[in-house]
Amino acid sequence: MAERSDVDLMVDLLARERRLVSAYEAALRRDAIDASLGEMLLAHERAHVAALERTLAGRGNPTATVPSPELTAAVRDRRSFAQYAIRLEDETIAAYADGVPRIRDPKLRQPLGSIMVCGGAHLVALRDSIGISLVD
Amino acid sequence: MAPHVTRREALGGAAAALVLASCGGGDPPPATGPRPGSGIALLGSLLALERASFAAYGTCLEVLTGEARTQVHAIRAQERTHIAGLERAIDDLGATPAPGRDSAEYRRTFPALRTAEDALRFAEDLEERQVRAYLEAVTDFPALQLRLRAAGICSDEATHLGAVRVLQGLPAAQGPFVTGAL
Repeated sequence: MAERSDVDLMVDLLARERRLVSAYEAALRRDAIDASLGEMLLAHERAHVAALERTLAGRGNPTATVPSPELTAAVRDRRSFAQYAIRLEDETIAAYADGVPRIRDPKLRQPLGSIMVCGGAHLVALRDSIGISLVD
Repeated sequence: MAPHVTRREALGGAAAALVLASCGGGDPPPATGPRPGSGIALLGSLLALERASFAAYGTCLEVLTGEARTQVHAIRAQERTHIAGLERAIDDLGATPAPGRDSAEYRRTFPALRTAEDALRFAEDLEERQVRAYLEAVTDFPALQLRLRAAGICSDEATHLGAVRVLQGLPAAQGPFVTGAL
């Protein structure tokens, strides 16, 4: 299989970050997350989106984010949303862990990795919010 | 004006720096085995750091109780799997991992941890250093497989860092970019 370009890899990461933005926006609207936690997570995800968009500078064509039926179901209460968000953050971290090492421009790897590290902290905050073990 | 040093910096920062300085991070690659540039020296540094962290967590456990103890125990178990993974990676490159130090040797480089707060501050500093080391490794390792391994471990260290912050009553995330920004 052909290796993906740096742009393709970052477009994928941007789509995932946008999905997280949509999720936290929806959860805040529906009171499915503690407001201060949700606002902090949302602010971080927006910063990630802005940074990726700046880096891509119009290159690539991210797919529009469509609210998933899963998200609609998850925002019914705080526990189910936290479980949904944990899964989403986990998948995003896995995408960074697999994608960042493949980025050809070494100058981009560390800052992209720092977004992955922030995702790890989000996982912990979400686990803490529903009283499950902080470390998997 | 004299530089202001917080208690946290005095305890954790200096101690963790000491651990790093004394754990053999700057050791040259072995005289035989893989060629320079294979990533072997960096693997050796990461292994030394992991071993020092594993020993440090053992010291932290002596003063921790309850939930903090349970969580730090889980973190320490993951550090052990990182050590095994790094040793395998060194083997895969045809080298022999350097022998680790005994716990008494490590202990001499650690600060006196009298309270749970001391232990968790020390743990946070260790995790910050590990995260930084693995992010640098993701940049610096020449081979994709080694970069993938470093990124995988880095994602674990990210949750460890968040966990030891939460155990101190701090927000898990310090900001949107933990080190460096795009």
